[in-house]
Amino acid sequence: MTAVLKVADVAALSPLLILLASALVLLLLEAFNPQRAKKGSFYIAIFSLLLALIATVMAPSSENPLFTPWLRFDPFARFFSLLFLAIGCASACLAASFFERVQATHGEYYFLLLSAVAGLLLMGAAADFLTLFLGIETLSMALYVLCAYMKKEKSSGEGAIKYFFMGALATAFLLYGIALLYGAIGTTSFEGMREAQGALSSSRQTLFWAGLAFIIVGLAFKGAIVPFHGWAPDVYEAAPNPVTAFMAVGVKGGAFAAFARLFFLILPPFHPVWNPLLTLLAILTMIYASFVALRQVQLRRLFAYSGMAHAGFLLIPVIVGGSEAWLSLEFYLVVYALATLGAFAILALFDKRNDGVFLNDLQGLFHRSPFLASLFTLFLLTLAGMPPTAGFFAKFYLFKIAFQGGDHLLVIVALLTTLLSLFYSMRIVSILFSETSAEGTPPTLSWPAMWVGSLSFAAILIVSLYPNALLSLL
Amino acid sequence: MPKLMWLLLAPFLAAIAAFVCPAISGKSKHRLAVAVSLIPFLMLLSFGKEGIGEGVNVPWLPSLSIQFNLRVDSLSLLFLYLTSLLIPIALLAQSPENLPFANAFYGLMFLLQGCLIGFFTAGDMVVFTIFWEAILLPLYFMMILWGKGDRRAAALQFLIYMFAGSCLMVAAVLALYLASATQGEGTFNLDALAALASQASYAPWIGTVFLLAFSVKTPLFPFHAWLPDAYHQASTSGTILLSALLSKAGIYGFLRVGVGLFPELMRASSPLLLGLAIAGVLYGGLAAWMQSDYKRLIAYSSFSHVNLILAGVFAWNASAHEGAIVQAFNHGITIAALFLVAGWLEERLGSTALGAFSGVAHSFPRLCWLTMMCALSSMALPGTNNFIGEFLIFFGLFGEHPWLTFMLGCSVILSAVYMLRWMQEVYFGTEAGLLPGRPSDLGCKELIIALPLVFLILWVGIYPAPLLKQVISMNPLSSVEKA
Repeated sequence: MTAVLKVADVAALSPLLILLASALVLLLLEAFNPQRAKKGSFYIAIFSLLLALIATVMAPSSENPLFTPWLRFDPFARFFSLLFLAIGCASACLAASFFERVQATHGEYYFLLLSAVAGLLLMGAAADFLTLFLGIETLSMALYVLCAYMKKEKSSGEGAIKYFFMGALATAFLLYGIALLYGAIGTTSFEGMREAQGALSSSRQTLFWAGLAFIIVGLAFKGAIVPFHGWAPDVYEAAPNPVTAFMAVGVKGGAFAAFARLFFLILPPFHPVWNPLLTLLAILTMIYASFVALRQVQLRRLFAYSGMAHAGFLLIPVIVGGSEAWLSLEFYLVVYALATLGAFAILALFDKRNDGVFLNDLQGLFHRSPFLASLFTLFLLTLAGMPPTAGFFAKFYLFKIAFQGGDHLLVIVALLTTLLSLFYSMRIVSILFSETSAEGTPPTLSWPAMWVGSLSFAAILIVSLYPNALLSLL
Repeated sequence: MPKLMWLLLAPFLAAIAAFVCPAISGKSKHRLAVAVSLIPFLMLLSFGKEGIGEGVNVPWLPSLSIQFNLRVDSLSLLFLYLTSLLIPIALLAQSPENLPFANAFYGLMFLLQGCLIGFFTAGDMVVFTIFWEAILLPLYFMMILWGKGDRRAAALQFLIYMFAGSCLMVAAVLALYLASATQGEGTFNLDALAALASQASYAPWIGTVFLLAFSVKTPLFPFHAWLPDAYHQASTSGTILLSALLSKAGIYGFLRVGVGLFPELMRASSPLLLGLAIAGVLYGGLAAWMQSDYKRLIAYSSFSHVNLILAGVFAWNASAHEGAIVQAFNHGITIAALFLVAGWLEERLGSTALGAFSGVAHSFPRLCWLTMMCALSSMALPGTNNFIGEFLIFFGLFGEHPWLTFMLGCSVILSAVYMLRWMQEVYFGTEAGLLPGRPSDLGCKELIIALPLVFLILWVGIYPAPLLKQVISMNPLSSVEKA
């Protein structure tokens, strides 16, 4: 029987197709009409992202045998598609604010952004290690270029090179792991892996575990989990603001999409083996990142470390496993994305120099612009998990499932590091609210970034007051 | 919607209004804010005792079995009265002139009021925890925006210290939840947890985590390192809130969760806790005596008196408990009055140092007599409110530990010593020191602000029967002992 593509199947695939098609349009526009690209490329990008968002909501799921070995259209993939597309929209808006300041070509930027989002969508929907790898590479290639987008800046090039080498290393690990796995079970598909893992002969088992260990290392690189985090602070610091925002939520989300699919859907019976290893990684990440974050003065660097600490938190549900843990991971990821994007939207308004925003630039912000300072404060409190913000519920949910799973140590370490994260967040807040000084930079009001900030603010307020609003959506 | 929900919502709606609409200006705004802050008080007066037993119970986060559960019993009611009365006083203590960001000030004040009302009525452990932490934020922002001197460090230290005290509380809450889940449906309901908390595995550890959190916030000796700086750097209204209301949140926690959920732990560790509390009473008294700054003097005196209340809670005796509850109310009134008059004195002298001025009673006779009134109340002179509470605590404690009562009794002498020293050095003696400008004595407006506090000091002191009746009916210890 030969399978035939129906309209419904194409519709299921449409978000990806929309992104790729408009990415091509942007590239052509930039090549043939740079003037028009300057005006129109933001609108084209945001329009295609929104269209893809609508398509994801409306699209039926496809069971066509032409797709299923490679891609899945399950609720899992759908959640990540929606999340990644929303992140794409937000970071396109931040980019628009960025280009108000910087003279650079526009079309390429949005082309690369859309490609990166397409890569993320592939990662979320992957049903085979090869698709997953394809997604990771599409994402990474685009990001290597985006990191070096301000090519005249020295630090930008340095960061990009660093990212490229570390990323290539991670890719090598991942690919090697996939090869070993293939050697053990003779397939790269997730489905095949689930079936094969029960009936492994003991000689194959070593191969299988080794392959899996390499894959975990590769993903840990992408998710910036200690001790595979070395690249993150420098790259976050050197990359342009909108790119850093995208990396902080997008790449992290992508890595956790892969983690989640691997550990929630494919490997649940393996838990006893992986738990100690992942627990160790999580504890190391939380402690190290929180301590180092205490001493940062450049905000993008600070967010790199705070993002690492959050990655440690996100590992908790992966360790615990089960459907409730999955729900808590989704909840945490959404709250984290909202707060981080909001915070970067505020930073975008102060991003005047190329070396980024420093704590001193925000000195006494409340006295100059109470509205922005309040927004930023809410985002920081949410990231720190201070009650009564949505961040508290996100953390509380994680702790609850970890406690139910019997990981008491993890909860206690996580709670103590929360104290540290509160400290570095409140240190920023106390600078925002301190007396005015001449040092502070005045904000440039830029509408796209303001939109991102205000929408995140509103969403966090709603989720804080009535967390069920978000939870019932997931 | 039940009345209790309105009681909670009123301050929050007011806060939103204050943050969003900056239209009204100047003095009328201040009057409006005070009027709005009185709404919960009027609501409480209107439904009074009928409110007891009222409850709100709506599912909030059903997948985590968190209910938005509020209810009022007579213990909550007393603390609700205190909150709703003191917030307007704290607002009035701030003069509307030279108040930058007036809207934010009113908004934060309403937020604090709402959080405190939520905290004192919470019937669900998670709601309790959320409000417990949420109380800190408005206080932090008030300290950092309208405080004095090195307020940034003091505010940060305050917040981190508080959070450090209670950061493991979430784990304790979850442990309780799991304990309840082993016996059927998991729940965070306080009443349900009270029935099974002591059978939970590791119950002493869970209880200790809670007690630690309450000890830091109240603060119990030796968890008071944050106190002098925070009290000193905050503005007058901030100090009133910290001393009169935040410490009560800690005491309420001891009574509600400590006595309610972990009575055995409280009883077993009574000697230790009592020892700490008595050490705190004496340490606070001695420290107050040695201060060269009258705001710090009052801060330490508040610390000393709060520890006396805790001694009453820890004594594990019905009348000591009643005394502690009465004294929690009294201390709120008296310390608010003391910081209020200290704030007025500071406005007039421009300094809080002892010894810079003396004999100012000549210039401000009314302020002097008002201060005297509050100081006497703080010394527990018979006829003032503190006498009733402290007497009950001593009476209860004497039945258990006569010698400790004797040691505790020294605190009364100490408080007379430091209070009278303040009075003597600043108000009496020969006039010295040049007053900045030409400050005038208390005006009508200030006397009217102080009037309700003075009235309560005397009323409870002279005719305590209604309050005592209320307190005896709700004593958590008697219900525990009956059970």
